[in-house]
Amino acid sequence: MPAEVKQEQSPSNATSLAMMQEPQEVVEETVTIEEDPGTPTSHVSVVTSDDGTTRRTETKDVSSNVKVTKMVKTVTTRTVRQVPLGPDGLPLPEGSSPLGSYTDSIDRRYMKNGGDRFITPQASSTLTRSYNNSYNDSYGEAPESQYVRHYGLHDGYADLTENYGSLSRGVNFRPPRYPYMPNSYRPENSYTLPIRKDDYGHVAQPQVPMGSSTVDLNRSQPERFQAEPYGLEDDRRSLPPEEEEPYELEPDYSTANRRTGTLQGPNRGRTHREPLRDGPRIRGYPDEAIEPELIDERHPYIHSMYSAPLALPERGSMASLDRLAGRRSPSIDSMRKDPRWRDPDLTEVIAMLGHPIDPVKSNAAAYLQHLCYENDKIKKDVRQLKGIPVLVGLLDHPKSEVHRKACGALRNISYGKDNDNKVAIKICDGIPGLVRLLRKTNDMEVRELITGTLWNLSSYEPLKMVIINHGLQTLTNEVIIPHSGWEHEPNEDSKPRDAEWTTVFKNTSGCLRNVSSDGAEARRRLRECEGLVDALLHALQSAVGKKDMDNKSVENCVCIMRNLSYHVHKEVPGAERFQDPSAPQTPGSAGPQRKKKDDAGCFGGKKAKEEWFNQGRKNGDNDKNYDTIDLPKRCEPTKGFELLYQPEVVRLYLSLLTESQNYNTLEAAAGALQNLSAGQWTWSNYIRATVRKEKGLPILVELLRSDSDKVVRAVSIALRNLSIDRRNKDLIGSYAMRDLVSNLPSGQQRPAKNLEEDTVVAILNTIHEIVTDSSENARSLAQAQAIEKLVAINRTSQSARETKAASHVLQTVWSYKELRNALTKDGWNKSHFQPTATVTPKATKNGKPGYDDTTLPLMEKNQDGYSTIDQRDKDLKYKTVDGSVEQTDREPLKNDTNRKHYIRSNRPAVSLVDACDVKPQPVDSWV
Amino acid sequence: MSNFIPGQPLVAVVQRIEIKKLRQGDNLILGFSIGGGIDQDPGQNPFSDDKADKGIYVTRITPGGPAETADLRMGDKIMQVNGYDMTMMTHDQARKRLTKKNEDVVRLLVTRKSLEEAVKNSMGGYQRQ
Repeated sequence: MPAEVKQEQSPSNATSLAMMQEPQEVVEETVTIEEDPGTPTSHVSVVTSDDGTTRRTETKDVSSNVKVTKMVKTVTTRTVRQVPLGPDGLPLPEGSSPLGSYTDSIDRRYMKNGGDRFITPQASSTLTRSYNNSYNDSYGEAPESQYVRHYGLHDGYADLTENYGSLSRGVNFRPPRYPYMPNSYRPENSYTLPIRKDDYGHVAQPQVPMGSSTVDLNRSQPERFQAEPYGLEDDRRSLPPEEEEPYELEPDYSTANRRTGTLQGPNRGRTHREPLRDGPRIRGYPDEAIEPELIDERHPYIHSMYSAPLALPERGSMASLDRLAGRRSPSIDSMRKDPRWRDPDLTEVIAMLGHPIDPVKSNAAAYLQHLCYENDKIKKDVRQLKGIPVLVGLLDHPKSEVHRKACGALRNISYGKDNDNKVAIKICDGIPGLVRLLRKTNDMEVRELITGTLWNLSSYEPLKMVIINHGLQTLTNEVIIPHSGWEHEPNEDSKPRDAEWTTVFKNTSGCLRNVSSDGAEARRRLRECEGLVDALLHALQSAVGKKDMDNKSVENCVCIMRNLSYHVHKEVPGAERFQDPSAPQTPGSAGPQRKKKDDAGCFGGKKAKEEWFNQGRKNGDNDKNYDTIDLPKRCEPTKGFELLYQPEVVRLYLSLLTESQNYNTLEAAAGALQNLSAGQWTWSNYIRATVRKEKGLPILVELLRSDSDKVVRAVSIALRNLSIDRRNKDLIGSYAMRDLVSNLPSGQQRPAKNLEEDTVVAILNTIHEIVTDSSENARSLAQAQAIEKLVAINRTSQSARETKAASHVLQTVWSYKELRNALTKDGWNKSHFQPTATVTPKATKNGKPGYDDTTLPLMEKNQDGYSTIDQRDKDLKYKTVDGSVEQTDREPLKNDTNRKHYIRSNRPAVSLVDACDVKPQPVDSWV
Repeated sequence: MSNFIPGQPLVAVVQRIEIKKLRQGDNLILGFSIGGGIDQDPGQNPFSDDKADKGIYVTRITPGGPAETADLRMGDKIMQVNGYDMTMMTHDQARKRLTKKNEDVVRLLVTRKSLEEAVKNSMGGYQRQ
């Protein structure tokens, strides 16, 4: 490769025909970075805690995600409240940092209390208390104040452990337990949350409404909360230095007044509910302005919430909520104006993760998961508040309820484009933690969550190797192999099993798909991972057998196979033994002279076959043995990475190309053939011949008409590689020319398909390859009315790459003297076939040594083997992240020619969303 | 067409159109382009009255092409092709249905506004008599 590269980018070559023979080795690795599309849903959190306080009324149905979330939240809130408010005789803070107290309490919990015996009492008692407590809270209260409050709470909470036993006391003063549990807080929760969230910016407002009600509250318990300011400061200090936006904690802002007010809640709560009711109404709602967005944003929740019977408030005041389904805002108003309850703020929730009582932990985690759902701001806040290490710590919690919820929260946090969240999970050893849990648990739901989280994490480049290091074999053994149906040593009794397209498998294959794009080392690790390739192949074969080829799991599997097929001829151990001796030697590569006799092993007369192939290539049509492929006989079944390039896989990929409707799968299958047919080694010779023998060429040509840009592109490059085989070249020249040409833009107006520059260049290069050394093919090119299009591109295209590629084709065509007559008859003359004056400078000016993007579409030239697609994607996606070594490593690849192009091609090349949903929308197509 | 009520029988005035494909090298061409399909955004269809109609519509006609010769018109909605229903197809399925290599002739059942008008008028005329 490098040699060819050099040859090509020398400026003189840019326009000369001499360089044209070069493009044989077109390889591509298209990397698809993708996040678990299912991630944002909270539906996994359906199962709520087992402590008896949860309601599982919601069943999963199509739209249940939201409902379910709601349920979780409800539960959470309920338990959540108890924490801050804690035991009534709440002693003063210990003076330890919040985190310190958190760990303390955990330890103590384990020592002192065997289990959950206090749950119920506590839950009930706190209910009452929190009820009142929330009353004291103004909804308009700014988050700052809550943070302030939190620290008081936090400290108190640390003490809670000590007074743990006293929790039971709560029962006594708490009257009817259930009557008011369901009613008020449920609806409110949904509204308080968004308000809070959106309120972060509104600093000043909240103080106003606090006024009167708080004052008397103060009186009931003034001394308790003195120490709070300390907690506040502590928090600030604890913020990592790099956080640019710490919470806007203005010192003077945190009035003691408010704090005490909130914190006193518990005590007041013991008195009565009734008086509280008035309170809220007095308050103003300073956040009215932002209400419309809130409503919009939360609407789905609201909607589903009310369909849940449990969500129906018992009390009359809430009855109006029923109407909500129809018209939103009025009811929302009424709900929001009932602030007897408030949700715990984020700091509190995070603190609760360390609560000694397991259900509190799990509910807090579930609540966090809910909060983080599609809310990047909250995710960031959780990170900044150091919630992630706590969640990661909970992964090792023995209670399934706890680690499940922690997983759920981590999954939502890890989703999205904020890579800092992913890094934060990695930093606190979340990846080994997840993998460890995967090994331990048999709970399908937990496994889904773990693999989903890993999928999310795998979308961030620097984490890919970490995942490989910690999780590759586990993911393979625990998920890929069992779900693929493949068995190491199939015993004859058992039928071969089909793959199961479970969510776990989908997530895991998605994760591996992402990590498989991390360069040569990653590919090596995956190829050598025992059982992986075998299982993936088995799964794909089973997909083909069942004609179930459109799903995401299949797509992931094919993408992994495609990526692992990239550069096999260079990277596979022992590859040098198979190098085609007739191929131009690349410097530094181990020549065929290195071949040892015994290496031939069970391949028998391999050498003879190579010669046969070479002869075939040289003699072209003259070889009468053309369509017999003499494949090597294996002494023992192939396994592991060798399966990647066995000619048998051709049929698999062709089946996928024939049957699948999923553009990504089509692209990947074509890409796999493209990768396998690249390079000069014995196996690529076999592959090229096998594609022909399996009648794959018409299948590929047919796909040139696909509506999907990337499919056309991958197919086109695959055809280019396949035409290294002389016979293929002739066939492609005769049968594919029209379809290739029809994809080219004509003149100013682009065809209905409007293909991307990349694709157009790929097609031009394929055409170039086909007409090179074949005047017959050049003739059919001219007959396909291509000259007009090529001239138009050459003259008018805005893209230097297209111009240059078209110019190369034209020059090659003109070089066939026997065609000139016919061409002249059609009205063309020499000037049409010469590069336009501007081309050369345009094309070469930006070309950096070792990188000529014009003639080689999608092809990267660096040894490491990253496709330009990959590169672009990284540039776009990760440009904000500093310290990514790899990124800087590849920086030189970028050049100006591609700048515009990066942006253009980023969208289709890689998408974060489930690619199945992003169908290209052909407005119309000619028939 | 525009008054389609789900669950109710649909009455459409249709015209039969037979197009003989033109061979251009290896390709058989019909000389028109289609838009729509159940996977497309029906709201963008400029030809439909009912913007929820996901049917296949003729969007362009090549001048002098086989479709024009056969009197297919822009805006026609294709109801059937060689007997196959075309009203519940994806765009790509429709395209494939029309471009079968082994069929030299396609018989279309199309409906168009002008036809409906014409029928309405003629019926009105009848009543008046």
